[in-house]
Amino acid sequence: MASIQLNNIVKRFGSFVGVENMSLDIADEEFLVLLGPSGCGKTTTMRMIAGLEHPTGGQIVIGGEVVNEIDARDRDVAMVFQGYALYPNMSIYDNIRFPLRMRKVPADQHDRLIRRAAEMVELGAFLDRKPGALSGGQRQRAALARAVVREPQVFLMDEPLSNLDAKLRASMRVQIKHMQRQLKVTTVYVTHDQIEAMTLADRIVIMNRGIIQQVGTPDEIYSDPANTFVAGFIGSPPMNLLAGEARDGIFRSEGIEVPCPRTVTGSVTLGIRPEDCTVGGGHLQGMVYGVEPTGDITYLTVQTGKRAVEIKAARDFRAPIDTPISIGFDLSRLYFFSENGERIRRPA
Amino acid sequence: MASVRRDRSERLWLRYLILGSWAIVCLAPMLWFLTIGFRPRTEIIVPHPIYWPSWSLDAWRLLVSDWPIASYLRNSVVAVAGSVVIDLVLAIPAAYALSRYEFRGREDIGFYILSTRMMAPAIVAVPIFFLFKNIGLLDTVWALMLVYAAINLSLVTWIIRSYMLDIPKELEDAARTDGAGDLTILREIIIPACLPGIITAAVIAAIFAINEFLFTLLIASTSKAYTMSVALANFTGGSDGIIYNAIALVSFLAFVPILIVVILIQKHLSRGLTMGAVKG
Repeated sequence: MASIQLNNIVKRFGSFVGVENMSLDIADEEFLVLLGPSGCGKTTTMRMIAGLEHPTGGQIVIGGEVVNEIDARDRDVAMVFQGYALYPNMSIYDNIRFPLRMRKVPADQHDRLIRRAAEMVELGAFLDRKPGALSGGQRQRAALARAVVREPQVFLMDEPLSNLDAKLRASMRVQIKHMQRQLKVTTVYVTHDQIEAMTLADRIVIMNRGIIQQVGTPDEIYSDPANTFVAGFIGSPPMNLLAGEARDGIFRSEGIEVPCPRTVTGSVTLGIRPEDCTVGGGHLQGMVYGVEPTGDITYLTVQTGKRAVEIKAARDFRAPIDTPISIGFDLSRLYFFSENGERIRRPA
Repeated sequence: MASVRRDRSERLWLRYLILGSWAIVCLAPMLWFLTIGFRPRTEIIVPHPIYWPSWSLDAWRLLVSDWPIASYLRNSVVAVAGSVVIDLVLAIPAAYALSRYEFRGREDIGFYILSTRMMAPAIVAVPIFFLFKNIGLLDTVWALMLVYAAINLSLVTWIIRSYMLDIPKELEDAARTDGAGDLTILREIIIPACLPGIITAAVIAAIFAINEFLFTLLIASTSKAYTMSVALANFTGGSDGIIYNAIALVSFLAFVPILIVVILIQKHLSRGLTMGAVKG
């Protein structure tokens, strides 16, 4: 098994910057998730670790060895692709066997290893089928089996679940996490789905436009966002971000008035998560814009000025639209961001 | 219910009628041709068609006794099969490079390869004659094999390239991280995945090659290298006049190898012809 270090990695495609000056330490046996919107450089980062892209600058170290000049086929890395990438002309058995043949694993071990990998993903009964005869979920499991069969130093997974339907995705998620814990292989997982990131990761790396925004455990990312991008990206619905003015310990914006630390002054952005708002309380005055009951919770949208504020209200909350409403904030869970989007932290 | 079922069976009946008629329209000329091959010469050049001719093996006897038809057929098959093999050996790596590697002038090289087909063959006929004369290959099947291969190489490369472009890049990335090198990827992943395209290209090249006339006439001067297509021309002149029944029979014999090949690989061919055209 192995740790991975990225030292000041840069990747440019012509004048387009894919990844900008990225440094990251990934611990041995860690499950690290790269999360961000499409085009943020997460897949490019992963492809550079795999050796499928060559960094324009910087150093990649896997297991203590600089691998910049080592070809993908000679890195001990297994990758699972978004489109499964099973070899269509081979049976599932031969697909799983392919990396063993390529790595010159002695032939008398093949059968045992293949069957073990297939059992791990519950695909034992489908070994003689061609990929075309399998469902999406089975194909993805076959791709997983192909990756685990040779016990690589590093697993790379590039949005492996994004082609599956929601129910299957949830069960595959658990399966992947279980397998990673079982095999104890350092794993880098790319996704744009925050639920996947939160549930799978030991640590999450949030990226935007080729730059790391924040690195932290799922809890840290959620409850201690570094900037407005992270705050607005994580959470469903994401954090409400309300621009306004702070002076003399009071934050004011259209329809909003809340106390704030005296150190926060000038044009700032207030962040408050939908679950930290309650109906009644008087920090925000607005009109009911929409009420969406989902069964276990009711989503309430309140309009104040031209802005909409999302609130998670009690399951039995109901209100006609366009009626005035007052909202209270949990004052211990307010976040303030400066004009450039960076978090204003309370002095310790 | 009953009327629906009758409707459906009527429609099925109609479908067979249309398809059957079309099959007859397509096959009739060939069958007519075959009957001409088995008629006496006197029954061919008549003002009115004879639908129920008397059978005769005149043409067959003429071919067997006066013409080394077997060696013509052999020359055709050897030259065509050889040229297709040469084409595939050269075109598959070329197509792979053109479809996958980024290098300067890639598009230009691709276009250059295709542009070799845009030239009128007559322009290079004389230089090619002298080329083969100088290397002592005139009047041999080897020369024909090389010429056919050269004529079709661009087309074969281009067809295979278009198939390779349709293979997802992910497959190669997967193979590479699994530990495969370029040649292994080509042999184990790319070639099997675009096999229908390779077969299509090979069949098209074979059809062009077996029908090739100009260069064959130029290079082959005796029965040592005559192929079916040039042999046909020998029945049109000379003191015997035009021997239509022999022409018909030889044409049919020239057509049979291609027919057999197409029937054998029909499944791949129909898939191949459509797959390359429509993405997805």
